[in-house]
Amino acid sequence: MAANTLNQAIQYAGAFTGGGLALGGGAIGAAIGDGLAGSSTIAGVARQPEAQGRLFSIFFLTVGLVEAMYFINLAFMALFVFVLAKK
Amino acid sequence: MIRLPAADIQIGDHVTRKFFGLTFNVDTIWSTLIAAAIVLVLGLWVRRRLTHGVPGKLQLFFETVAAAVQKQVHDSIGVDVVPAAVPLAMALFLFILVANWIGQLPFGDTPNYIPPPTADTNLTYALAFTVVFWVHAAAIRRRGFFPYVKSFFKPLWLSPIKIIEEIAKPITLALRLFGNIFSGGIMLALIGIMPVFILWAPNLIWKVFDSAIGVIQAFIFALLTILYFSFAVSEQGH
Repeated sequence: MAANTLNQAIQYAGAFTGGGLALGGGAIGAAIGDGLAGSSTIAGVARQPEAQGRLFSIFFLTVGLVEAMYFINLAFMALFVFVLAKK
Repeated sequence: MIRLPAADIQIGDHVTRKFFGLTFNVDTIWSTLIAAAIVLVLGLWVRRRLTHGVPGKLQLFFETVAAAVQKQVHDSIGVDVVPAAVPLAMALFLFILVANWIGQLPFGDTPNYIPPPTADTNLTYALAFTVVFWVHAAAIRRRGFFPYVKSFFKPLWLSPIKIIEEIAKPITLALRLFGNIFSGGIMLALIGIMPVFILWAPNLIWKVFDSAIGVIQAFIFALLTILYFSFAVSEQGH
């Protein structure tokens, strides 16, 4: 993976920067989303402890949906860094 | 020039064959067949050993899944409105669960001879488009073709959002499942770079986490299928 020409160097730089941006934005979004879901769950359980089971299942559903956005970003990062940068 | 060890990772490699000018990822195809065979064998085995007495563990598992799916369908739609929703959701959950978990056993590394088939967009797009097709078919069968089309344009200022949402549904359904399982494979490749006396710890942690993600994503796929059915067949808009 040595950059032999200037074009290749620019290609690598662009691909890695794009991958890093995708990961960074995805991580921020996923962390904020998970934090909001967790805080609502804690507030709900604090208010009504017997609803804990139902609240937990909705919490895991929301976490799954939020993390999905992050994993889609991760897949695109892998596309940029490992596939497009080699061409 | 410094050569990064991470540069040797090749991802997205599939065992391919060409038939009639098209390239097929045959490792995804035979992993799909293996996962389907496992689900079918387990289901037929449970049916054979079905008992009204004390159920065995496998029967208990199937009963739990069936009860949960039926409860969800009954709460969202009503069981008789779309009678195919319960077996469809249950089949999707079980198949995607087994397909995600097949990736936990290592069968080779570039190429992986039995990869998790959901790590290939071909399978996830096929599943998502099948679900979306049946959702539209159920809605048209229930409401009629022209009332269903008109319901997209009823509040006219909402219709672009509704149309974009209909396009986004299969795409996000497919890419969510693909991204989760594919990134599991990438992470394992990155963990494999570490020296052996270190990598056992992150390997263990990541594999446990990946199994949990497999369960959650299968559950989300089935749940979203039921929810899309409920949105499509609900009358008087929503």
